[in-house]
This record gives sequence, structure tokens and C-alpha cells, in this order.
Amino acid sequence: MKLALKLLIRDWRGGELTLLLAALIIAVGTVTTITLFVDRLQQALLLESASFIAADRVISASRPIETALLARADEYNLQRSATVSFLSMVFSDERAQLAAVKAVDDGYPLRGQLIIADEPFGSGRPTGAGPQPGSVWMESRLFPSLDTRPGASVDVGALTLPIAEVLLKEPDRGGGFDTVAPRVIMHLSDVDRTEIIQPGSRVTYRYLFSGDEGNLKAWEDSVRPDLPEDTRLYGVKEGAEEIGEALSKAERFLLLGGLLGVILAGVAIALAANRYAHRHFDHVAILKTLGATPARIDQIYLVIFIGLGLAATLIGAALGLIVQAGVAEVLRPLLPVALPAPTMKPVLLGLTTGMVCLLSFALPPLLTLRNADPVRVIRRDLDTANPSSLVAYGFGGLGTFGLMWWYSQDLRLTVLLFIGGLVAVLILGLLALLLVRSGRQVGLQAGSAWRLAVAGLQRRQLESALQILAFGLALMLLLTLFLVRTSLLSEWRNQIPADAPNHFAMNILPEERGEIRAFLDVAKVTVTPEYPMIRGRITALNGVAVAELTRADGGERGAPRLSSTRNLTATAALPKDNKILSGAWFSPASQVSEVSVEAEFAKSNGLKLGDMLVFEIEGRTLSAEVTSVRSVAWDNLQPNFYLIFSPSMLIDFPSTFMTSFFLDADQKALLSPLLRQFPTMTVLEVDALIEQIRTIVAQVTLAVEFMLVLILMSGAMVLLASIQASLDERMKQFVILRTLGASNQLVRSSLALEFAVLGAFAGLLAALGAELTVYGLEREIFDLDYTPTPWLWALGPILGAGLISVIGMLATRRVLDQSPVAVLRDLA
Amino acid sequence: MIKTNDVCKVVETSEGALVILEGITLEINQGESVAIVGASGSGKTTLLSLLAGLDSPSEGTIVLGGDQDITMMSEAQRAKLRGEMVGFVFQTFQLLSSLTALENVMLPGELRSDPQAEDNAKKLLDRVGLGHRLQHYPRQLSGGEQQRVAIARAFASNPKILFADEPTGNLDAKTGAKIIDLLFDLNADFGTTLVLVTHDARLASRCERSILIEAGQLVSEVLETSAATA
Ligand SMILES: Nc1ncnc2c1ncn2[C@@H]1O[C@H](COP(=O)(O)OP(=O)(O)O)[C@@H](O)[C@H]1O
Ligand SMILES: [Mg+2]
Repeated sequence: MKLALKLLIRDWRGGELTLLLAALIIAVGTVTTITLFVDRLQQALLLESASFIAADRVISASRPIETALLARADEYNLQRSATVSFLSMVFSDERAQLAAVKAVDDGYPLRGQLIIADEPFGSGRPTGAGPQPGSVWMESRLFPSLDTRPGASVDVGALTLPIAEVLLKEPDRGGGFDTVAPRVIMHLSDVDRTEIIQPGSRVTYRYLFSGDEGNLKAWEDSVRPDLPEDTRLYGVKEGAEEIGEALSKAERFLLLGGLLGVILAGVAIALAANRYAHRHFDHVAILKTLGATPARIDQIYLVIFIGLGLAATLIGAALGLIVQAGVAEVLRPLLPVALPAPTMKPVLLGLTTGMVCLLSFALPPLLTLRNADPVRVIRRDLDTANPSSLVAYGFGGLGTFGLMWWYSQDLRLTVLLFIGGLVAVLILGLLALLLVRSGRQVGLQAGSAWRLAVAGLQRRQLESALQILAFGLALMLLLTLFLVRTSLLSEWRNQIPADAPNHFAMNILPEERGEIRAFLDVAKVTVTPEYPMIRGRITALNGVAVAELTRADGGERGAPRLSSTRNLTATAALPKDNKILSGAWFSPASQVSEVSVEAEFAKSNGLKLGDMLVFEIEGRTLSAEVTSVRSVAWDNLQPNFYLIFSPSMLIDFPSTFMTSFFLDADQKALLSPLLRQFPTMTVLEVDALIEQIRTIVAQVTLAVEFMLVLILMSGAMVLLASIQASLDERMKQFVILRTLGASNQLVRSSLALEFAVLGAFAGLLAALGAELTVYGLEREIFDLDYTPTPWLWALGPILGAGLISVIGMLATRRVLDQSPVAVLRDLA
Repeated sequence: MIKTNDVCKVVETSEGALVILEGITLEINQGESVAIVGASGSGKTTLLSLLAGLDSPSEGTIVLGGDQDITMMSEAQRAKLRGEMVGFVFQTFQLLSSLTALENVMLPGELRSDPQAEDNAKKLLDRVGLGHRLQHYPRQLSGGEQQRVAIARAFASNPKILFADEPTGNLDAKTGAKIIDLLFDLNADFGTTLVLVTHDARLASRCERSILIEAGQLVSEVLETSAATA
């Protein structure tokens, strides 16, 4: 024990441990940094995205919920707030307008902020609470419609209230087109006196909750069974379609990055431990001649291992803490929100990762040391000591798998990645060996630097193949991560293009179409084509009345939403982001009665191609055949429809029109005169919502980029470790060459060539592996459209050759500049 | 002290089985100094490693220290025996590169948990004339100096038998002579049995007895020599 500790300290002093320790520290440090930072970012993201529902969790109900049930949140240390929403007419002196009224208590909003202004369409300022009792805030577009101004009073039901502020945005407004009516916000305590809410009124009660994620989960489990029917309890991912998808993809990416980080760290540790074991084979042989038994050797190296592990994991975790704090500090100006303090869980994760990596990657080679044959002392060439064995690889594999699983909590992802990785390693290893073998022919015909380089690779076929494999694997993981990141970012960018329409105009009367377009043309605002829009409902399916249908199925099960009144439209062009899944889109000159149905709607109501639907629209009936089923990107913030008729079908109906356009901040002021001139039209502003989504996406992007940088760093470390691991052998060869009179130039260029050839092979394999992995990941995990990347096949080898020769030459420079004797003595 | 009976060593090579040693029967008594001589490649080193229990013979028995047949022992038992009875000096010194001179010499004592290891090592290093280089690493020492450290380490365990494989093979004549003087001095002081492999007749003549190996076979035992002791 004491001796082992002494040997550990002496080894350290002698510089033997530097590389292994460095690999360990960086591995633990990287994982800790990644998990810590990701944890904080995720917390921040959750907070930021929680603003989409103004809370962490919401219970939405059509009747008030008992106070006792609500009060249970207090036991879990949750904040709570309540809102009540209903539709009501709002009256100014001259005019009346239907408004979506929302009454809020003092706690609202629990997450996010309200944006208010002094003037309609003016520039906003954030505030953390709703209106005081006895006043209302109104959305900008209500002012022109009601022909009123801030400071004046409006009647809401039986109550007359002064307008205290202009409301520009509330966090949980959402982007749906169901809430078309303009918003009025008032205090919850004033609701009773409006006398609007009567038995039978359509009212939505929302109860908001916020707090620590763990408490929220516990509370959720406790209340869910006791909630009355037709209430809904949801979080931000279910509550905000616009960003839920992006959030979960980002989470998966960060997870993936973390996993790759763990694998890279493991490979680095394995390489460093292997080198250490190789170098120590002779030491152990000497110790054995001095009387050390195999058990003693185990004991010595176990103590060394534990000492090393403790030092490395502690230093690594501390380093991780410091680095992530530094990164957070540097990024602070870029981050739209303050990062919450880190929790201790990631530190624990980093520590465990370090220990498991150590156990599965470093221990096996160290334990083979006991087998070193003492005859080595006399005949060093006797056994080509190979500390790595099947057992060691098995250990490494098992450890990696366990870590990946624990880390991702996702068996499917783990198995997919693991099997993929295993197959990749096997195939790539075989290919690497083949490549090395076939290098001979090339080498024989080349100049002397080439011949030396290829001879160098040939001499150590297996090691060279292993090295190509390690390089290739590291490069492959990096390329994979880079490609997935690029696809993700471009998907997010495309979700909301910079000039995407951020205002929607509805209820445009047919006779006003031209005038409105002219108004906007003058202001140089680009307007998208108009859609006719009319409300209607389905009354019969294939000759059977819908009422009949639903009854026959026992309740509303067979076609639950078939008969609801919906917005209908007719158009010749397939709307943006819609995809035909079956059937065909209308031919341009279609004169027949056709209708295209959204896929989910078709599925839940059992609609098929060829079904005949009868509609009731404005008291008239219209029948149409289902000729296509479409998917719709509901999160693209464009007008989307369940049912679309072929172009000519609505011509005879008194439909209004809707259109959309993009306004920048300076053009917002146009809205006031526009709405005054065309009071019947409704303008829906989604610019604030788009801004909110952009903020989140920017944040998610940043997290993804950060992950990439960290992984790149640990990848570089793996490359360095594997070059270092081969250095002793290489150096010996080149010192001999030097003593034989080879010029420094020759030695250098053949070494550079050797690295370049290694790197190019590795790069080629990496391109192959990355292409396959990306294909699998994007299809299975990320739900992205895979596109092949031919440039990868050129980039891989070039990148590999460049990277490896630069790192390799840097790593060997110091040694090459020394005299051969000094190098030999160092290697002795 | 050492007794072998019909020892053979055969190794498998790519060209088939290769007989390195054949029918070696010999006996070395306590306190004796014996030289194993022969041409390069004749099998001297192989014989030495068998005698010392670093390697196992293909056939035959080897008894070390009176009654124990080391060919029947496990590696752990042999290691223990080595630690208690045997010291080595090698042609290529075999110092641990990451340890200082002092630490290298302390190692046998430390392996036995001897509290005197350090004092003992310092005394021995003094004795071989390196008392002022205790903290130097092997790479900072000349070949002769490294071999002195190795000799000090060989005696640190107070061995009953010392095996030396061409201890001067990597040294120039003058340094080699000094090392040999040192080796025999210490050997006399400690009363150790010495088994010395060499192809240098002059060096062999300083031992009490020589054993000649030719092509893996024991040719003759030159029973007495000019027995120069010092
Ligand atoms: N493990 C082995 N495999 C193949 N040949 C060996 C092995 N060990 C020794 N030899 C051969 O046996 C012969 C004797 O070697 P060695 O004992 O080292 O001779 P010496 O020490 O007398 O020079 C040499 O020809 C050597 O090449
Ligand atoms: Mg020899």
C-alpha cells in the first residue's frame, strides 16, 4: 500500500502519468462542463419557454375547480395564479366590439412578462403584473375599432372601467386562430360585478402553477387522479406547439452530444491507459525479478489506479465547474435570459462518469500488467506485450453502454447508437487493416520519404489499423454531430423565415379587397394572396347524417369532431408546408366539387379518399368528394385549414377573405389608420409571438453550438492521446534513422507523410461512418429529412490528413529537435 | 545451492521447434563463484534465466536453495523466492526510468516492507561510490554509473545467489574492469553465491570455476581455475 502510493508519486514526478491523468481530467472535466452547462441552459430554456403558458403547469377547465384541490399546490411549495377567460361585447361611447376578455389575479403571470405601451401600436415596455382592480388594458387594434384612446372608459358587462394601458403582448396568448377576438385584460376581483358570467356561459378557467421541477412532478402525480373530467393539466411542451418540437429536438441533441462526449472521453482514457500499461510492462518485469508477486503487482497498480482516479475525477469536476462558470460568464451578454444557478446533479454525473470510464477503460489494461513475463528483462522482444485483450474490450463496451443508458435514460437511443457504433467499429477496423495492407504496393514505387512512411505503417499493421480506427471514430463522431446540428439549425431557421408574414388580416369584405391591397401597396407592404374564408360544418358523410353517425357509434366516438363548425377555404395552390399524403391536389382548372382533408382530422373521423361530404354553409348545402389528404405544419404560424375546397367552389358564397403580410417595427403605425378605415376587418398580430419563438430558438441554437465546441475539444484530445500513444515506437525508429545519417528533413517529411496517410484513411472511414450514422439518427431520432452530403467524402480525408499531421507534428516537434542520444535516454 | 537435472529448453518458432538447451545437469555450491562461458548465441542467457527462475524449462528439474524444485512452483511462489534469495545484474542495467538512483536501490527492501530500506540503500550507494548522486534519474547517469546502481540494488535484498548476465557487455574495457572489481568486492563481503555469464575469458578466470556451453550443450566443467579472488 505504502509502496504503491510511493510508486504512484514517483511515477507522477517522473512524468509517466501526465498523459493518463490529463486524459482523465479532461474527460471528467468535459462531461461535467457539458452536463452542468446543459443543465443550466435547460433550466433557462424551461423558464423561458414556460412563458408561453405563463407558468410551468396549467390546469384548464370549463368550471371552477375546488379551492381545496388547488390549495394542495401549497404543500409542494408551488406558486399559483388563476385566470378566467370569456367572450364579451365591449362598448365605447359610440361603438361595440366582441372581445376576448381575460381576468387575472395579482400573481399573473407566473412566468414571462406582459408588454404594454402608452399608445396603440406604440413601443412597448415589460411589466410583471396585470391591471389593478378597477381598470382594464386593451389590445392596440381595439382602439381604432372602438374609436377610443387610452385613458377613456369602456363598458364591460355591467361595469365601466378606465383603460389604463395598451396591451401589446401577454405571454400565454399563443398563436392559434381560435382566439381571433381582440384581447381585454381586467382584474379577477372585478369579474363578479360585470355580471357577465351566468350559469351556462362559456368560460375557461385556467389555474397556473410554477415551482421546482421535482416538486411539480410530485404534485402532478398527486392531483391528476383527482381532477374532474374535461379538465386538462399540461406543461409547456404540450401547451405550446410552436416551440415544443424544437425544444425536444434540442434536448435530444444535447443528450446525443453528451453521449458522444462520454464515448470520446472513454476512448481517450483507454488509449492513454494502454500506453501507460505498455510502458510499464518492462517495469513490472523488473519488479518481478526483484521478487514482486502477481498479486503484489495487482495491488500496486490498483492503488495507483484508485489514487489516479480520485485525483482525476476531483480535479476534473472542479475544472468542469470553473469552465462552465467561465463559459456562462462569457456568454452572458449573448443569452437572452439569466442562467439559473447550477445544481449538484451534473457534478455527480461527471464524477460517476469519470469513475466508470476509469473502471471500464483504464483498469483492464492495468490489470494485464500482472502477466508481464519476467524474462522480458533479458529478452525484451520475446513477448510482444499486448495489454489489451477481449476482456478489456468487453469491459469498455459494457461500461460505455451502461453510461450511455444511464445518461440518456433512453434504451432505444442507447441501443441504436451502441449497435451502430459497434458495427461501425468492426467494419471500420476491418477496412483500416485492409487499407494498411494495401499500402505496401503504393509505397514500393514511391520516393524515400514515402517509402519510410509506408514502411512505418506496415511495420505495425495492427497498431496502425487501431490508430486509424481511433482517429476515424473521433472524426466520425465529430462529423456526425456537426451534420445533425446543421440539419437542426436549418430546420429551425426555415420554420420561421426572416420575412415570414407576421400579421394576418381577416374578415375582409369582398368589396374592400381592392382598397385594402391598394392601401398596403402604397406603404410598400407585400401582401400574400387572399384566401376566401367562410364558416360551415359537415352534415353528412356518404349519405348518412352526421348526427346519425355519431349516435350509432355510441356517443361521439366514431367521428368526434366531424360536425363542429370550422373555417373553410378554397384555393388553387397548395398552401406552404402542406404535403399531399394520398390522393392528388386539385388540377388547376378543376370544376368539380373536391375537398382536401387534413390527415389527423381524416384519421380521427375515419375519412377516406372518395368519401362524399355534405356541408352546410350559410344555410345552403354543398357536397364535395374527398380527393386528397394533406399533412399540415401547424407550427409554421401560417393560416392553416383542416378543409380546403377546390378553387371555384366558394365563388357563390358570401365569404370574407383573409390575407397576411409582413410589417417591421416602423410600419406598425400603419395599423391604426388601416383599422380606422376598414373597421370590419380584424388584424391578428403575431410579430410578438414570432419574436418570442425566435428568442427560444436562438437560445437552443446557442446550446447546440456550445455542445459542438465542447465535443470538438474532447475529440481533439482523443486525437492527441492516440498520437501520443504511438509516439514511443515512432521515436525509436526515427532516432535510429537519424543516427544512421538520415537528414532531419527526411525524418520530418516521412513522419508528416505517415500522419497524413493515417489521417486520410481515418477521414475516409469517418465520412463513411458519419454518413450512415447521420442517416439513422435523422430518420429515427430527430425526425428530419435526410439529405446525402457528397462533399463529406472529399472533406473527410482532407480534414483527417490535415488535422492529424498538424497535431502529430506539433506533438513530435519537441522530440525531433533533440539530439538522438537525448531521445534514446528518454525512451530507455 | 543450485542443482539441475537434465534441463532442456525448446521454443516454438515459425520454422519449427528450436532446441536451445539440452541435457544440462550441473551443481553449484553455496558461496561458490561460477562463470558460464561460451560463444554468443550458445544459450548462456537462457540457462541463466532458467536457473534464476525467470523462465521455465521444457524438461528437467531445477532446485534452488536446497530443497525446492522451482520448476514446480507458481509464478507467485517463484517471485517470492526471488525476492528472498536472488539478486540480478543485467547487461542492460534494467533500472526503472521513473525512479531515482536511491529509489531504485530501495525497491527490494520496500517490496519486503523493510523499514531500513532507505538507510540500507544509501549505504550501498555510498559503497559503490554514488553517495552524491542519490537523487539522479537513470537517464542522468552514465552506463557505468547505472550499472553500479544496479549492483547496489542487487545486493540490497541481501541475496544468497547473485546472477549476472554479461554485466560489462555494454561498457568500455576500463569501466567494465572497475565494475567487475566492485562486483567481486561486494560478493566477497556478502558471502554470496555468484553465477556470472560472460564470453570474456579473463573475466571468467576470476571465478572459482567455469562452465562451458556450446550450441546448447554443456561441454565441460573446468573444475578449477586460477581462482583469483579479491
Ligand atoms: N524465445 C526464443 N525464441 C527463439 N529463439 C530463441 C529464444 N530464446 C533464445 N533463442 C535463441 O537461442 C539461442 C541462445 O540464446 P541466448 O541464450 O541468448 O545465447 P547467449 O546468451 O549465449 O548469447 C540464440 O540463437 C537465440 O536466438
Ligand atoms: Mg546472452
